[in-house]
Amino acid sequence: MGRYFWMLGKVFTRPERHKIYIRQLFNEIEALGLNSVGIVVIISVFIGGIMTIQLAYNLVNPLYPTTIIGLGTRDTLILEFSSTMLALILAGKIGSNITSEIGSMKVTEQIDSLEIMGINSANYLILPKIVAVVFIFPFLFILSVFFGLLGGLFVGPTVGVVTVTEYIDGIRYMFVPYYITFSVIKSLVFGFLVASVPAYFGYFVQGGALEVGKASTQAVVSTNILILLFDLILTRLLLA
Amino acid sequence: MIEARNITKQFDGTTVLKNISAEFQPGQTNLIIGRSGSGKTVLLKCILGLYEADEGTIFYDGRNFTDMSQKERKNLRREVGMVFQGGALFDSLSVEQNIRFPLDMFTNFSNREKQDRVDFCLERVNIPNTNKLFPSEISGGMQKRVAIARAIALNPRYLFCDEPNSGLDPETATVIDNLIQSLTKEFNMTTIINTHDMNSVIEIGEKVLFIHQGEKCWEGSKHTILDSGNQTLEDFIFANKLYAQMKKAHTGNPR
Ligand SMILES: Nc1ncnc2c1ncn2[C@@H]1O[C@H](COP(=O)(O)OP(=O)(O)OP(=O)(O)O)[C@@H](O)[C@H]1O
Ligand SMILES: [Mg+2]
Repeated sequence: MGRYFWMLGKVFTRPERHKIYIRQLFNEIEALGLNSVGIVVIISVFIGGIMTIQLAYNLVNPLYPTTIIGLGTRDTLILEFSSTMLALILAGKIGSNITSEIGSMKVTEQIDSLEIMGINSANYLILPKIVAVVFIFPFLFILSVFFGLLGGLFVGPTVGVVTVTEYIDGIRYMFVPYYITFSVIKSLVFGFLVASVPAYFGYFVQGGALEVGKASTQAVVSTNILILLFDLILTRLLLA
Repeated sequence: MIEARNITKQFDGTTVLKNISAEFQPGQTNLIIGRSGSGKTVLLKCILGLYEADEGTIFYDGRNFTDMSQKERKNLRREVGMVFQGGALFDSLSVEQNIRFPLDMFTNFSNREKQDRVDFCLERVNIPNTNKLFPSEISGGMQKRVAIARAIALNPRYLFCDEPNSGLDPETATVIDNLIQSLTKEFNMTTIINTHDMNSVIEIGEKVLFIHQGEKCWEGSKHTILDSGNQTLEDFIFANKLYAQMKKAHTGNPR
């Protein structure tokens, strides 16, 4: 805990060279952000589709209007799936990537090498990653909602549980814009966790390749637990 | 000149370095030798400030490094080059980018000037035309050379090498040793080298510091080391059969 905040203190200082920092930042946005777009789209389309079917089978009886399907898909995506579940998935992808990269730099003395040159290694390596992930997360959230809804729109009518018009009516029914704000705030927080917690595990790893592997696993588990914890806290604070 | 005064270092209650004092002169290759686990790397890292010594003081040309603020240390480190035990090249960067890296961070050279400097360094360590390769694509010996080239990119006053020729064949090891020695003379650097290789000692041991179980056990040079009369040192040296036989041929006495 103490070391985590000590590290953050080192991370959040002014970068040595502005130009190099910007270059790093764009590299990280590409490596961590753009490279995650594919998986986000695929997962969201499937989950959106599956959710539509589930809602149709479980909720629809003559007493409920069919708009509940579109509405339910939309709100589940916005409130939980595209923010929290997606963060859990990306903690696996982005988080393990960050831990193994920084961890292997640590055990091969590349981090010492930076320090010897008089470079603040935490700032140089970790700051661009945190900024990149926090920046990209809200976009991935929006993307996920969009493709999730699209998945429902495609699957629902195809399997015949809802018509296109009913589904779209549902999506537009009783829309609460605040849910979006709420989830964007969540995704900013989750983005910070997904970058900083695995960075911590990598930065303080000791040993060799084996320990780096273990640290990656630990990092993903810890990040997931923290995401759920903050989900609970934020939901309580901002929604209920 | 680098001076270490009464350096003591513990890890969780175990004393790894006991009251070590030594001076390292510029323009010559200063060697720290000792068994695996004797504390060579820890001593080097204490001198560099990668570990904080529990007691003692380090001076870089009279400047008290131990009492410096983080900022002052950072500035001093721009005068330091280091070759790590495993090379520690940045594996996401090509050979050329590795050597350019310190130039990008700390100079306002134009692209042309940086390129010239990179080419000069690569030529100096004798591996021209490897610019675009990545560390994983070159041999261990070449990695060491690139690490040396990167370490000298900013014309350091102090050069540290942690086992620069471990894992290399004897011939390449000698080449690396001689390279470090000639660079040391050429730029009048204060160079400290960790090694447990007796060949290096005989080749470039202008000053030799022998550490045993964290204590300074003997101090001298390649000219005096074979006749030290120090039992612990002799055990270390003559563990190597070749040197035992040399000694026998020399004095008629294996011990
Ligand atoms: N970070 C650390 N934490 C705890 N103990 C350490 C640490 N670093 C080194 N040691 C201990 O200090 C002692 C000296 O280690 P050091 O790495 O300096 O040996 P060395 O002489 O460089 O050996 P080698 O020739 O194998 O590199 C060893 O017993 C080692 O276990
Ligand atoms: Mg060592």
